[in-house]
Amino acid sequence: MFLICLSRPSAPLSAQDSTLPLKSGSVRFAVIGDMGTGDPPQYQIAQRMLEFHQKFPFTFAIMLGDNIYGGKTPADLQKKFEIPYKPLLDAGVQFYASLGNHDDTNERFYKFFNMNGQQYYSFKKGNVHFFALDSDYLDPKQLVWLEKELANAGTDWKICFFHHPLYSSGAFHGSSTELRTILEPLFLKYGVQVVFAGHEHVYERLKPQKGIYYFTEGASGELRYGNLRKTDLTAAGYDKDRSFLTVEISGDDLSFQAISRTGVTVDSGSFHRPGAEQHAP
Amino acid sequence: MIQREGRNGARRVNSHRFLPAACVLILLAGAAAAQTPALSKQPPGFGDFTQRVQQYMKLRNALPNQRTTKIPAKIVDRRQSLAEAIREARPAAKQGDIFTPETSEAFLKVIRGTLRGSNAANVRKTIRQGEPVAGVHLTVNGAYPEHLPRTTVPPTLLLRLPRLPDKLAYRIVGHDFVLQDTEARLVVDLIPGALP
Repeated sequence: MFLICLSRPSAPLSAQDSTLPLKSGSVRFAVIGDMGTGDPPQYQIAQRMLEFHQKFPFTFAIMLGDNIYGGKTPADLQKKFEIPYKPLLDAGVQFYASLGNHDDTNERFYKFFNMNGQQYYSFKKGNVHFFALDSDYLDPKQLVWLEKELANAGTDWKICFFHHPLYSSGAFHGSSTELRTILEPLFLKYGVQVVFAGHEHVYERLKPQKGIYYFTEGASGELRYGNLRKTDLTAAGYDKDRSFLTVEISGDDLSFQAISRTGVTVDSGSFHRPGAEQHAP
Repeated sequence: MIQREGRNGARRVNSHRFLPAACVLILLAGAAAAQTPALSKQPPGFGDFTQRVQQYMKLRNALPNQRTTKIPAKIVDRRQSLAEAIREARPAAKQGDIFTPETSEAFLKVIRGTLRGSNAANVRKTIRQGEPVAGVHLTVNGAYPEHLPRTTVPPTLLLRLPRLPDKLAYRIVGHDFVLQDTEARLVVDLIPGALP
């Protein structure tokens, strides 16, 4: 049993207004996906992230794949990553990448992506375990690795991130049903609470599926304007412009705020960790 | 922060520690694709595929590996040097060296079986979602073009195929089934027209 406390502002907030609680000792991060175009919208989102960082000093960002579209020359890596995010890198923000279908597996050797040479890996921040998966190549070896990692993660928050959304209302790709067949049983067995994915070039927050919260953030550079269909899956969505997501986890509470390129807060809210005890009001 | 390694690290754990994971994987594979020999390194019928891959890896392991760096040019330089060294080490490499006729038959049987089985709609959807590019002509020892998406290989297909060392991967490019050296971005071998 878990409490959902969602709120959506009736009037748009500017990016300078954080709805996040900024609690002491919390885990704070940004979420971006499908961003590596090197085009102006990517730079504008990066700028918006920098502005938001002043108010909500997130310490790291997770990348949901398609980090570098098209060419993979040194100039491409600079144009599509180092230059737009340089101010954030200079501010000490670390980026943790997962690979999308447009990425080169050699990106895992790029130190700024913190993949340590691995196509899939895990890391821990505070009471949160993160698992970066390679959903383009989910071979038996990766599945065995994932199960071992999840089993060893204990009772903390478990967050998986990868490129293909298991649930999506996007009209272009939709849900990755085959991946869901393979991954969802593991997520349920080991108590994964939150999953972030990209691939669909929109923002979407899904209604919890079998108790798991799913977010799609695939519009931090690319965009498929108006591509979200009306389905029963969607709790909130935004397909009118690029966006990024920010998240704060404090104890058993997770708060989130999705922000558009123009600085409008397009979704926000919070929820209690599924399976955790409720706090007294 | 604790960071744990993935692909390579998994090899260093004793096999008995994987037993629960292995059981679940078998169940998963069973649910997703009946009669899938999920954990065998090489399912029966693939001839000497694994030995041929191992021969390639002998050559490959003698060459320098990629290393993590903050300098993109180093990654690209190493990739190009590696590809060049592989080409020099197997100058006569040709289609069918690894995917021999016998092996190709086994791959075709599994690929086409997966694409016709009860899960076929989901498998085809996975391939489509990976945005496979058609009309690209790949050759053995040739580069896997930079702009080409990695494509998504259906996981239920991967469960039925022989496992590969970390530096190799199966790819689907148009109708072709490709064995790729991922660090060198090089086509090691391919089965043209494997996917209907």
